[in-house]
Amino acid sequence: MAKRKNLTQSPVRQGNRIDCSREIKFSYNGRWYQGYKGDTVASALFAAGKRIFSRSFKYHRPRGLTCVSGQCPNCLMTVDGVPNVRSCIQPLSQGMQVEHQNAWPSLEHDIFGMIDRLGKFLPVGFYYKSLIRPKLLWKIAEPFIRRMAGLGKVNLKLEHGDEYNHRFLHTDIAIVGGGLAGLTATVEAIKADADIILVEEQPCLGGTLRHRVQDIDFPELPGLSAQEVADKLAETVVSSSSVSVMTNASAIGLYEGNYLGVRQGNELVKIRAKQVIITTGSYQIPLVFDNNDLPGVMLGDAVRKLIHYYGVSPGNKAVVVTSDDNGHGLAKDLAEAGVEVIAIADNRPKPDIDHSGVLENPRVPVFWDTSISRALGKKHVRGIEIVTSKEASEYQAPLKLKCDLICISTNSQPANSLLHQTGATIEYDKHTAQPLVKNTPAGVFAAGEVTGIHDKNLNVLQAKVAALKSCQNLGILRRKKQLESLIDELEQLEITSRSLPRVHCSQTVPGISDKRIVCYCEDVLEKDLNQAIEEGFRDIQILKRYSTVTMGPCQGKMCSAAAIDICARATGTDISQIGTTTSRPPLEPVSLGVLAGSVHTPLKRTPMHNRHVNLGAKMVQVGEWLRPHSYGNVWSEYQAVRERVGVIDVSTLGKLDLKGDEAAPLLDRLYVNRIGNLKVGRTRYGVVCSETGVILDDGTISRLAEDHFFVTTTTGNTESMESWFKWWSASTNDCVHITNITAGMGAVNLAGPFARDVLSKLSPIDLSNEVFGYMGNVSGLVAGVPATLMRIGFVGETGWEIHFPSEYGEYLWDSIIQAGQEFGIRPFGVEAQRILRLEKKHVIIGQDTDALTNPYEANMAWAVKLEKEDFVGRGGLRKIKGLPRSNKLVGFVMKDGTVPRDGDPVIDKGVAVGRVTSARYSPHVGRGFGLAYLPDYLAVQQSDFIIAVNGLESLAVIVDQAFYDPEGLRLRG
Amino acid sequence: MTYLISCPGCGDRGVDDYRYGGSVLKRPGYNDDPELWDSYFYLRVNRAGMEKEWWYHRMGCKQWFIAERDSTTNQVHVTYWPGENK
Repeated sequence: MAKRKNLTQSPVRQGNRIDCSREIKFSYNGRWYQGYKGDTVASALFAAGKRIFSRSFKYHRPRGLTCVSGQCPNCLMTVDGVPNVRSCIQPLSQGMQVEHQNAWPSLEHDIFGMIDRLGKFLPVGFYYKSLIRPKLLWKIAEPFIRRMAGLGKVNLKLEHGDEYNHRFLHTDIAIVGGGLAGLTATVEAIKADADIILVEEQPCLGGTLRHRVQDIDFPELPGLSAQEVADKLAETVVSSSSVSVMTNASAIGLYEGNYLGVRQGNELVKIRAKQVIITTGSYQIPLVFDNNDLPGVMLGDAVRKLIHYYGVSPGNKAVVVTSDDNGHGLAKDLAEAGVEVIAIADNRPKPDIDHSGVLENPRVPVFWDTSISRALGKKHVRGIEIVTSKEASEYQAPLKLKCDLICISTNSQPANSLLHQTGATIEYDKHTAQPLVKNTPAGVFAAGEVTGIHDKNLNVLQAKVAALKSCQNLGILRRKKQLESLIDELEQLEITSRSLPRVHCSQTVPGISDKRIVCYCEDVLEKDLNQAIEEGFRDIQILKRYSTVTMGPCQGKMCSAAAIDICARATGTDISQIGTTTSRPPLEPVSLGVLAGSVHTPLKRTPMHNRHVNLGAKMVQVGEWLRPHSYGNVWSEYQAVRERVGVIDVSTLGKLDLKGDEAAPLLDRLYVNRIGNLKVGRTRYGVVCSETGVILDDGTISRLAEDHFFVTTTTGNTESMESWFKWWSASTNDCVHITNITAGMGAVNLAGPFARDVLSKLSPIDLSNEVFGYMGNVSGLVAGVPATLMRIGFVGETGWEIHFPSEYGEYLWDSIIQAGQEFGIRPFGVEAQRILRLEKKHVIIGQDTDALTNPYEANMAWAVKLEKEDFVGRGGLRKIKGLPRSNKLVGFVMKDGTVPRDGDPVIDKGVAVGRVTSARYSPHVGRGFGLAYLPDYLAVQQSDFIIAVNGLESLAVIVDQAFYDPEGLRLRG
Repeated sequence: MTYLISCPGCGDRGVDDYRYGGSVLKRPGYNDDPELWDSYFYLRVNRAGMEKEWWYHRMGCKQWFIAERDSTTNQVHVTYWPGENK
């Protein structure tokens, strides 16, 4: 922990995002610093004088703040143990621990910075070309490369709690982007009473109005500054009850069905919108020139954000590189913030008349028709080299100026990735040098600068039309006339705007140096792209894959335009023919925790759950259910069932109720057994197979009436059996009602030599073997509770499975325990039941069978009635029967004292050829025993085979019959 | 896979609410050729375009219905209960 005395004071600042009355202390690389409420990590560090924020991915070049909007990778830091946090948008909080990454010993002096000089040994795609032979070479080099390249390190010790969450929202209209267009669209949609969600990635609404403060002439709110217009619109939006505004929320993907993924803090919000309006605006992009990634080279909007949001002075002596009036406004901003503006390098030819008025700034020399060719300096900007764009101009030789800040305010790129994802038609327009949105799919609209049109009046009109068209689609538009006239007006304006001259500044300025960075994320240089194109990777898509340009954390936001420009020039192709790389979600880095959300484990409890807990049962999860594993002593539970009487909660069994005239034919079709001939009052064990003959489930079928059946399924298969039954019923259009009554019915199995004595104390039903024999069922009262009783012998003793409405669970449980006291009754858990049933060789589907097991392998051939009329699985089983059997499920007893575990391998000639599916110690046999799958040639009656128990080979002998009571006298008794 | 399907009973729901049950197939008859059964088990047309499919509303009414879906666009044109010929 750092010491407080190192605290660096920062001066009071004036910014519209920060509150200087509330100080926030945080540590950076072990030293304490101070920021203010509203600061981001980066703005506070910048205010404290930090200029290098990271080291680049490959060459470890120093990098400083560039975009201040979370779009570039140059400010990635480790915050509170979480790596790769974009510090320029990470809100500062009290006690935050910030650390630099990918540099040693410090960002200022990074020993790996020497790699920068080895650039010529690291050509594009070097790992496809070098370190290939001998193979060992890569093994030696890889750890070094991994250590030197890369970003932050994942902290595996960091514990995550419930901080991640998913949320689901529904709305009429989702509007993405709360700038001028987004706010205008929202205001229009409010008028039609639409239900709206407005998603804004900044902490407040307003978009560029909050930092490009001068240039606004908003016809509807005349005479107001940009800030005031933003305030007015935001107030209308926030005060409306039909709008829910999400700030600090970034849309990360728009999927089919207008399903919008939004990340807000640690939450992933999934919005299902009937209509989506995309007003994500545009963002400035850097130019490619010599040393273009030097700290001190910043985008114009970044500088404005530092000034207006955070009240930080971006530098002392600035040069503005621009191609539009926006840059001149920036120069004004800088001057007002006390920064000396040395010069403006304007890419445009000198205009005859100044239309806008912003250009009249006599103190700042403007160099027309020029651009930047190089940034001078080693670790920070110390000067700039300006060259003429055209030969004829007055500045022939490069002009060197001293400065410590270079503002790039030239081209912007529409933030149209979401539109690309929807499949909108976007075409590159040569006249405006912008990708223009031509067409959007149904239910998706675009408005504002995202459409490639940079004209405030047009953008406002677009937003209104988009909002009204959305309302029209929703059927809530009342002002149809207004929509028509707006559309007319929009078309007129679009035509006039096309005739205005535009100047596009080339994305790349010619230069001489090697270090002309195209992709900040992956350190891809201009020469890398040129070389890749020379090697034949001429298509932008494969150029991307080969060089990794646009593949870094920024997903091409900073480099895609430059890459396309370079690709077009190097291949001699027209830029409109190059296309773009595919935009895929997520649009920005999202931590896996956000995508995973919080961990919810659904758990079901039986009606008697609290009784088990009170009895001190050790609970285990079986499927979605919590079941008692044992109540303390498995062996005494086992003994109670075999010698006296035991009771087990079997409420987890799946229970389906089938009613209808065609219930019997349906069951006859679903089970491989014969069911139709089952008499009322009788129960039968049945097996369900898939069409190909794989065992899906087993259970009991009880006929309660001619047209009424009660079916039980395996605990874990309830849902799939319900849908399986319903599908067969639906596909044949049977008249059967299938109801899943699993949760509505509780069940216990009462078993043991004294089971009849216990039950007869509670129930008036005649339980004698003559009336209520094995595999019979009777409905009647048990302790006054209406119940269905079945005589089933899963554990191999006289026993009844009692099904009853679950609300009586605890009462019935108590009644049975009480009635059984005199007979020494014990509740038994899943573990005792497993041993008891294994001694009877009763299989558990899913434990002793798998996704390929058929009845012929699992000793269930007796159940398959191929001769009966068509049933599900008949075709498959008929085929399987004709083929030689490959595996067989056999019972075995160990010949020595070992007890195998479930899953232990069966060994033949040193090779694993089979596996144990269930194995335990049998108190009855006095040995380890169980069930195993053997290849058919090993499954010979009473022969030996080898199981690897704890890695040591042990002999087992095959036992054909059940291990306990093979004649079944006890369960029939 | 985030498109909407309209359950004939419950209305529009996200595709996650449902279980896909495969294309509507004709089941061979009791005495049909084993080859016909084999193709019924394993061979699927996997058509690009409109397909009649089974869908199960597992998170809702738990009923099967038939949807006519364009597998190239995921647009579900119509849904109905089995037996309701549309």
